[in-house]
Amino acid sequence: MQVMNGLIRWIAALLVLPACALAGSVAQTEQVRAELLALAPQGIAPGKQVWLGLRLEHQPHWHTYWKNAGDSGLPTTFNWTLPSGATAGDIDWPTPRQLPIGPLLNFGYDGVALLPVPVTISSPPGTRIFHVRLEADWLVCKVECIPQSGVFELDLPVGQPTISHATEFERGLAARPVSLDNSTAEARIEGDALAFAVTGLPAALRGRKATVFPETAGVVDNPAPVTQSWNGAEWRARWPISSQRSESPAALPLVLAFDGGTNLRVVATLATPWPGTDATRAGAAPTLPETPLSLPGFATALLFALLGGVILNLMPCVFPVLSLKVLALAQHSGSARERWSSALAYTAGVVIAFLALAGLLIAARAGGEQLGWGFQLQSPATVAALAALFTLIGLNLAGVFEVGSLLPSSIASLRARDPTLDSFLTGILAAAVASPCTAPFMGAALGAALTWPTGQGLAVFAALGLGVAAPYLLASAVPVVARWLPRPGRWMETFRAVLAFPMFATVIWLTWVLGQQAGIDGAAALLVALLVLAFAAWWWGRRAENGPRRVLSTVAIAALTVGTFAWAAPLWRPVAADSRAAANVGALWQPWSPERVQQLRAEGRKVFVDFTAAWCVTCQYNKRTTLAHPEVLATFEANKVALLRADWTSRDAVIAAELRRLGRSGVPVYVIYAGAEAPRLLSELPTVEEVRSAVAINQETANKEST
Amino acid sequence: MKRSASLLATAAATIFGAALAYGAASVGQSAPDFKVRDSNGKEQSLSAYKGKFVVLEWTNPGCPFVQKHYDTGNMPATQKAAESKGAVWLTVSSTAKDAGDYKSNSEFNAWLKEKGAAPTAALMDDDGKVGHAYGARTTPHMFVISPEGKLVYAGAIDSKPTARKDDVKTATNYVTAALGEAMAGKPVTKASSEPYGCSVKY
Repeated sequence: MQVMNGLIRWIAALLVLPACALAGSVAQTEQVRAELLALAPQGIAPGKQVWLGLRLEHQPHWHTYWKNAGDSGLPTTFNWTLPSGATAGDIDWPTPRQLPIGPLLNFGYDGVALLPVPVTISSPPGTRIFHVRLEADWLVCKVECIPQSGVFELDLPVGQPTISHATEFERGLAARPVSLDNSTAEARIEGDALAFAVTGLPAALRGRKATVFPETAGVVDNPAPVTQSWNGAEWRARWPISSQRSESPAALPLVLAFDGGTNLRVVATLATPWPGTDATRAGAAPTLPETPLSLPGFATALLFALLGGVILNLMPCVFPVLSLKVLALAQHSGSARERWSSALAYTAGVVIAFLALAGLLIAARAGGEQLGWGFQLQSPATVAALAALFTLIGLNLAGVFEVGSLLPSSIASLRARDPTLDSFLTGILAAAVASPCTAPFMGAALGAALTWPTGQGLAVFAALGLGVAAPYLLASAVPVVARWLPRPGRWMETFRAVLAFPMFATVIWLTWVLGQQAGIDGAAALLVALLVLAFAAWWWGRRAENGPRRVLSTVAIAALTVGTFAWAAPLWRPVAADSRAAANVGALWQPWSPERVQQLRAEGRKVFVDFTAAWCVTCQYNKRTTLAHPEVLATFEANKVALLRADWTSRDAVIAAELRRLGRSGVPVYVIYAGAEAPRLLSELPTVEEVRSAVAINQETANKEST
Repeated sequence: MKRSASLLATAAATIFGAALAYGAASVGQSAPDFKVRDSNGKEQSLSAYKGKFVVLEWTNPGCPFVQKHYDTGNMPATQKAAESKGAVWLTVSSTAKDAGDYKSNSEFNAWLKEKGAAPTAALMDDDGKVGHAYGARTTPHMFVISPEGKLVYAGAIDSKPTARKDDVKTATNYVTAALGEAMAGKPVTKASSEPYGCSVKY
């Protein structure tokens, strides 16, 4: 029986269908029909062309994977058993397709695909039949995945041509990408992306777009859009690097499937070294950012921080605390010794506040929180507390009540003896409210300082604080300035009262910030609470009567104040970001999201992003001046720049993460994206000319690229 | 003049070099904190386990690659070994509620029990927020976090990216290796690898 079957197979193979499907060359599952095929037009002999291949026919919606499966999945694998003298090569993969699944992107095949394998014959087979055995594993997925395998056997006649599947192979081999001999490709690490440059491509492809497939897994962020452009004969692309990159290859082969059906393979050599991340010490902080700075670099950073701090005094950000600063100066007009101690105390207050804020921020970030510089004003409760504090200071300056009447006499006399404490607290308050804006030239430095070893990072913030306080230190050190200040006298009383009004202006600003964060109800609740607080302060300041009745009414008013704040506090919660975004975005500006930026860039649009916050006065100033300037708006319109606004008034992990990617830690930040270029960052206080030329430069590049 | 120019260049290079390393949940960086309910309805957060090694394991009982490591007992054994050394093991399901193989809390608990699994907790990340924060792509996809909250390993469970159960015996378990090295205060030799498995069903 066995012999008979064998004989029939023989006869069938030799007479009817040479090298056609014998029993065992097909595996059929519910998802895939797999068949082992062969092509040997000149028979099987040394030096002759011999191909084997697995033809996969997928049911609709099912797919198998390419050599790099992408974000999930597994490549199909072969295990061959061939007669001695024959060796099978690797799969010569046809060009895959993109297979998106949710937020992920995979690479593979649906429909019909042939995975061809070249066979090398080194010595003539001793038999008339060439027996091929293949164990294949593949993963077939729709949404769910099924690992499948098959064992295939095929007998080929040695002395005769095997051509019955010639058309299948012709089609399958044509689907492979073509390697070009005279093409060169290079990749550079630019920020968080790989920038590719390929030359020597056929002229007919110029201006066309390609779908790009990386052969090496674990390098690029697969689903991130690849921005492409042509610079003359050179094709350029920018592909974000995966945040979980596991490979550091010296060369990255790419398959470029150009529109129109031309599939090419290029091998991009890495022109820049990969930053080392592998030997990450457990427990120890990250290797790369924690590399201690060389001393000259650190010294430069400190110097810049000091300068940045001085300049911060001239930024619109300090408007809200202007009167505090004037007050600090006015207090300098005593004796030289008083001047010095008060200036030093003010400086200490500013520096300590900067250090405390930076320390808190570094600790919170180490805990995985997505926060940035200015985080203290992202909490509506903090804003409300500051508004209450400034109301009290204002009422105090206006003479509604004296601090002495609030505090037990021992502390009051201590205060009177020691106005230094006043200066110290003034410094702390000034820093807490005025620091959130990023100083000019300091954007990149502050972003980096937060990633340095804690000691060095804090030193940069201390230098920044020192810079902020420097003008006042100088003023007290130079006798000319002291002489220029008027002598203390009765005018001080009036001056003090006048200064109350800028304080109330600060309260208006804080109320507006709270309104942005917590809505109109939150802002109204704050005003009610402030009203009750003002009433309580006035009551304290009256000193009309003494005795049990006063004690009783005092307790009642204190209870009323506490009660009002307790009632209002729950309203000081951030409202949904959507309604805030809608309120802050006009016809010109769209709400920002990383996806929107990618989408617009993929469409070839230029994109301008304004990272802003209500509490950042510099941001508001820029928004109403430069960014609203008719010439700037005309330039934006002429260049079809998409305008996006990212509002960081309340905490927002996505915005914080994007700022980190840009190497920044606070606002304002202005970014222009154009073509495949790296994003361009503008200064913190951009001029009309700066914005216009930045857009125009990018325009020139884009023109060059499109011709 | 030349000198100050090179100083500036050094500062700039340092600043931009440091900026390179950013990105959500990458090895060597802070692991994102999260708040999510577990399969017993209790709120779990990463910060609650500060001071301990934490392993995150993305899973989906319907996935053949997950079955490879549960049916062979590999995953439960890895869990128990890690926990016996003081680590916290959080199994995470980011499978969306409308996915075919979504499991309710009680179904998920029953599955863990049946497989002899013993994670510290099973996080039901139905809306995929934790998964997105970590960039979890496959089931299984593994993350090891140091007591200081830094990510020290991200990637596959082991070195053999197949669905074949036999391969478990001969594969190198990357999670056990990373935990062993990190707990001994040594650098993790293989700190990242390419995860393999089914897609997370976001």
